[in-house]
Amino acid sequence: MGIVGTSAVLIFLSDRQSHPTKHLAEMPHEDPHPPEPVHRFQKQGFSYENAIKFFFASNAGLTIVILALIIIFLLKEGLGFFPGYQRELEVYRIAGLEFVDISRKNLTAHEQITSVLNRTYYAEINGKCAHQMRRSQEASALFNAYSDLTAPTRDLIVSNSQPDSSPSPEMIASLRTNFEKQKSKALATLPPTPHLTPEERQALIESIRSRAFDATDDPPLVASLTTEFAEAREKQVKPLEALRTTIDTFESAGSELSSLVSELTESVTATKEKIQDADILEKDRKTLLAAASSAEDPIEREKLVSEAQASLAQKPDIEGPIRILMERRPACIAAHQSLKNAAATVSSQLPNTLTQPEASRLLKVAHNLWPLFLADLEKTPQKITDWNHLKPVALSTAISSFITGKDWVTGGEWQDFYGILPLAAGSLMISIVALTLAIPSGIGAAIYVNQFASKREQSLIKPVIEFIQAIPSVVLGFIGILIFGTILRDLSLMDSLSWIPGFPIEERLNIFTAGCLLALMSIPTIFSLAEDAINNVPSAYAEAAEALGASRVQTTFRVIIPAAFSGILAAVLLGFGRVIGETMVVLLVAGNRIKIPDFTSGLGTFFQPCHTLTGIIAQELGEVPLGSVHYRALFIVGILLFAVVLIINATAHRFVNRMKQ
Amino acid sequence: MFNPETLIRKGLPKGHFKDVAARSFLGGITYLVVAIAVLLFVKIIIDGAPVLFKPEAPFVDLDFLTSKNETLHVFDDAQGNRHQLPAAAYSQYISQHGSATLFNEQTYSYSGGGIAGPIAGTALLTIGSMILALFFGVSAAIYLSEYAKQSPFIHAIRLAILNLAGIPSIVFGLFGFSVFVLAVPVITSTPSDRSLLTIPLLIGNYFLSFQGWNSSLMAGCATLACMILPVIITASEESLRAVPQGFRDASLAMGATRWQTIRKCVLPFSLPGILTSSLLAITRVAGETAPIMFTAAVAAKDDLPWQGLKSPFDILSSQVQALPYHIYTLAARIPSSEFTQRAQYGSVFVFLLLVAFLSLGSMILRAKLRSKLKW
Amino acid sequence: MKTISILLTATMISMAGAQTLSIKGSDTLGAKLVPQLAEAFKAAGNAGVKFEIAAEGSTTAFPALANGTAQIGMSSREVKDDERTFCRTKGVYIKEHPICYDMLCVIVNKNSPLAKLTKDQVAKIFTGQVKDWSEIGGAPGKISIYTRNTSSGTYKDWQKLAMGGRDYPSSSLKMAGNEQIAQEVAKNKNGIGYVGLAYAKTAGTKTVLIDGVEPVAANAKKYTYARLCYFYAPDKPSAEAEAFMKYVESDAGQDIVRKVGFIPAKDL
Repeated sequence: MGIVGTSAVLIFLSDRQSHPTKHLAEMPHEDPHPPEPVHRFQKQGFSYENAIKFFFASNAGLTIVILALIIIFLLKEGLGFFPGYQRELEVYRIAGLEFVDISRKNLTAHEQITSVLNRTYYAEINGKCAHQMRRSQEASALFNAYSDLTAPTRDLIVSNSQPDSSPSPEMIASLRTNFEKQKSKALATLPPTPHLTPEERQALIESIRSRAFDATDDPPLVASLTTEFAEAREKQVKPLEALRTTIDTFESAGSELSSLVSELTESVTATKEKIQDADILEKDRKTLLAAASSAEDPIEREKLVSEAQASLAQKPDIEGPIRILMERRPACIAAHQSLKNAAATVSSQLPNTLTQPEASRLLKVAHNLWPLFLADLEKTPQKITDWNHLKPVALSTAISSFITGKDWVTGGEWQDFYGILPLAAGSLMISIVALTLAIPSGIGAAIYVNQFASKREQSLIKPVIEFIQAIPSVVLGFIGILIFGTILRDLSLMDSLSWIPGFPIEERLNIFTAGCLLALMSIPTIFSLAEDAINNVPSAYAEAAEALGASRVQTTFRVIIPAAFSGILAAVLLGFGRVIGETMVVLLVAGNRIKIPDFTSGLGTFFQPCHTLTGIIAQELGEVPLGSVHYRALFIVGILLFAVVLIINATAHRFVNRMKQ
Repeated sequence: MFNPETLIRKGLPKGHFKDVAARSFLGGITYLVVAIAVLLFVKIIIDGAPVLFKPEAPFVDLDFLTSKNETLHVFDDAQGNRHQLPAAAYSQYISQHGSATLFNEQTYSYSGGGIAGPIAGTALLTIGSMILALFFGVSAAIYLSEYAKQSPFIHAIRLAILNLAGIPSIVFGLFGFSVFVLAVPVITSTPSDRSLLTIPLLIGNYFLSFQGWNSSLMAGCATLACMILPVIITASEESLRAVPQGFRDASLAMGATRWQTIRKCVLPFSLPGILTSSLLAITRVAGETAPIMFTAAVAAKDDLPWQGLKSPFDILSSQVQALPYHIYTLAARIPSSEFTQRAQYGSVFVFLLLVAFLSLGSMILRAKLRSKLKW
Repeated sequence: MKTISILLTATMISMAGAQTLSIKGSDTLGAKLVPQLAEAFKAAGNAGVKFEIAAEGSTTAFPALANGTAQIGMSSREVKDDERTFCRTKGVYIKEHPICYDMLCVIVNKNSPLAKLTKDQVAKIFTGQVKDWSEIGGAPGKISIYTRNTSSGTYKDWQKLAMGGRDYPSSSLKMAGNEQIAQEVAKNKNGIGYVGLAYAKTAGTKTVLIDGVEPVAANAKKYTYARLCYFYAPDKPSAEAEAFMKYVESDAGQDIVRKVGFIPAKDL
């Protein structure tokens, strides 16, 4: 009902505004109004003056109204999320999807381990013929670089010399010259090939140069190196046959469970669809009836009512499918047993080390995963027996699975999950990067400008930093996506920088890229607030310190900074608030991968893509149906953001107030 | 003017090693930040300026600013010459030469023509929201600086202003979407059934229906105005308070009422200050993307906002293109290649130029104001 | 002051009834094909019609049709029953108009040695069972999966067509449109993604043969990942909408469909 109030105020205001504002605009030239001796309001205990005061007061009160509206509407749209999510989780359980997920989890673990083992196997082989692989890759890279540059002009000739188009000879000639020009340009800028001998490189370049323009086969050296590589691989396969068989045994051990899971998947998805259809039909019936009651045309109403009656939902049969599902329990347990046995055998057959470092590393990963996998398999039969589709889903389950959920999966075929952790982790990681960069530079610049810089320096630095503040965030995002991300990736591919953890990076859009740009954004905030704080330290402090013989640096770091400390802390906090609430930069640059970063890669974690609280709202709000659970989930994320930023700001202002005292 | 502090400092020994190290370290950080910022500007100027300026007279090419946004067609003709034509020119070319002589044709959305639509949309959004925000903001500031005494009401207002100032822009987007797009009242003869509340009016067959303004210019303006309100209030209050108390006392002593005092003795002197700081607020309003994404902006629109309307009011209820949203589209929706660069860097360059003008203007005005108004 | 009164007056009038032709929905259709159809339609003597095209994903088409904010909805998948009913409750009977076939092509970086995949391998890659190119015989490197975002019809079609209904792995990156997927794959030598046929020719990428079938128009029947794309419109469309749809179905329109890289519905 808040909206009625506001609009009433708005309309009331707009009636009154006509007077004062008109005068305000014309004021400088206008003669003063003759004051009205007795206003008609005065008789009723109202004075003209009081009415004006009331008008201004209500305008000031508008801020409270807006804040209240923000809170009310966020809650209004958001709070429906938890019951809705509860119902979704209930369907997830009743239809038996949860039951299938118990087995599916193990299946996924099995797939992961298989993948690691496969990678180990190929790492060993590729490692052993690394030399041939590099040579082959370099040769094809060189040829690819050449064909990339010449392809457009080449295609032009080919498409113009087709029999059905009748090209003029001059035209073909000019196209040829173009092609030759492009060709010599391409040959001048070929990538380096450190693993090819100079003679080989020369031969390759020669073969490219003398190549017919419409040739489609690879140059001889490229082809021979490819076969050489293939042969080398072939040779390495022999000694590893035992490992291959082990891996294949393990891979096929999962097939029983896999086929069982896909069979169950089909049946539970059908049940789920039935339940959802019934829910929808029920809702439709209600909307149709509602539409019928408001329809004015009797024929139309009749039609709507009959449609509503036709769509009367039959209560879907849940017990039947569940019974069938329960009958598969023993089969399920048996499949797990046999997988466990196979896994235990395979684990003992695996070698402990391999010759190639990368392969050994992967093998160690697999060995570490094994006990966890076996323990999970051990527990599964119990879980399968205990599972009960009638166990109620409490509202608190919905809330806790939102707050502690590790998956944000939406729009999928299987089941939607709304877990906040991946988004919160993304926001936090980006803030860490941004603040690590922005705090030293923002505060350092503030100290420098306030304490050490000359007047002229100040008048150069301050406007530049002020101008950074004025750059719209979407422009920074643009810079990140088009310029900075690419530069970063090219840097990371340089061999001399490969000691940096996380280099070479996989994705050019990642936490670090976004963090750098957000640092640039928050530097002005931190800078100006910190400078204010330093400026507000009474000059007597500095004078006293200097009178005691302290040097400039001593005065700054021992007296002024400690005195301004709480103000600087407030600056940092407000900078943090700015970073966590920023949308466009992270939407464009953070990479949009909804996953908790993999912290096992140490500092390299900062070069993984992520998604953020603000980004998910911006990306998904435009696309979700109004009033759906997904829509409401986005509002809950908004409420969370709102609360976090309010707490940060309140803390910051507490620090500012302490400083003032 | 001599500062006794500097006199004392001159006497102190300088060149201490630690002193120099700390100084140069801090200075290095500061200039690094400045250098990065300058580098960014230079990059955008180098890539963007050619869109707007050209080497021969009259040096300025306004085509980019005044033409509409179109798809860009890139193709080779039979002579091997490469053409880059926006859609309208392309269909003209086709009608002259026929479509059989085109090779290697590629199309790039949003990359042809200019950015007249986004510029017009941003201008309308900025003007609309600034009018609303200035009106309500200055009135609120007058109350806070001229009428208010310590009271729980004032305390609540200050708290609300403080909190509003910190809310992230995307939350304003959510707010604008749920309130202005979906919930504010309209008067209509056909209320939507999404409406929260429908009140029949007794005039004709009309209803007051709380169904929102849809995604439209006015919903965007209202959202942006709410966002910028705390900034305007704080800045205006500061300017009002800068007017010496003596002005008010003198006026009141002459028998003027409080309103007359405000109108004649306070507002005229604080108005320049208010307008200066609102220039900075404009840069913020013009640059925000998140609040208008769901309330006003549309990626592609044939017409300028004021064209093709049935009634003048339609302009308020139609969606508009906006420059920041256009840049978002250019950055996120289309690939970057030699043919799209003109649109991409050109738009960013124009946008930065606009922002630079506004913030430079406010800086100069502020400096002038400081030297002029000394009481 | 004036604005206040204008604002108030504006609330007095109904929001509906812009005379522009507003088309909303699928990015696959709306990013490239429909704008060009619109431009050609205008060039063919309908200069008076104004277009407003928003391509945010197929899911957005139906609410827009129901609320009357769009006259035509673009969709790269069939309408769902609940969406149809939702429109019905708003008094809109929507009608289906098949426009063209689209093939979903798997693209990889141009420098990848990979040339063909089996359907099974594609499923394994996109569900995250295979994480490294070396596992399927490529050069070692961690696979980067680029997918569309969740509102996209392609996102859901791909799940059905290629992944057996399983979920995407959380390591996948959600991109706003086809063009973006192509762009990222072009820049990442370990990237893989899927795009509509019209976007398969992006520089720096190449398409992969699936079970030995090349994704070209001639193979539309043999190719596994082919699907039909639709326009949806109210059963009584506005005159402009009707004219536009007629144009799209005409030979001239279908020529443009072919040129942009889709397969005209009548070719099959």
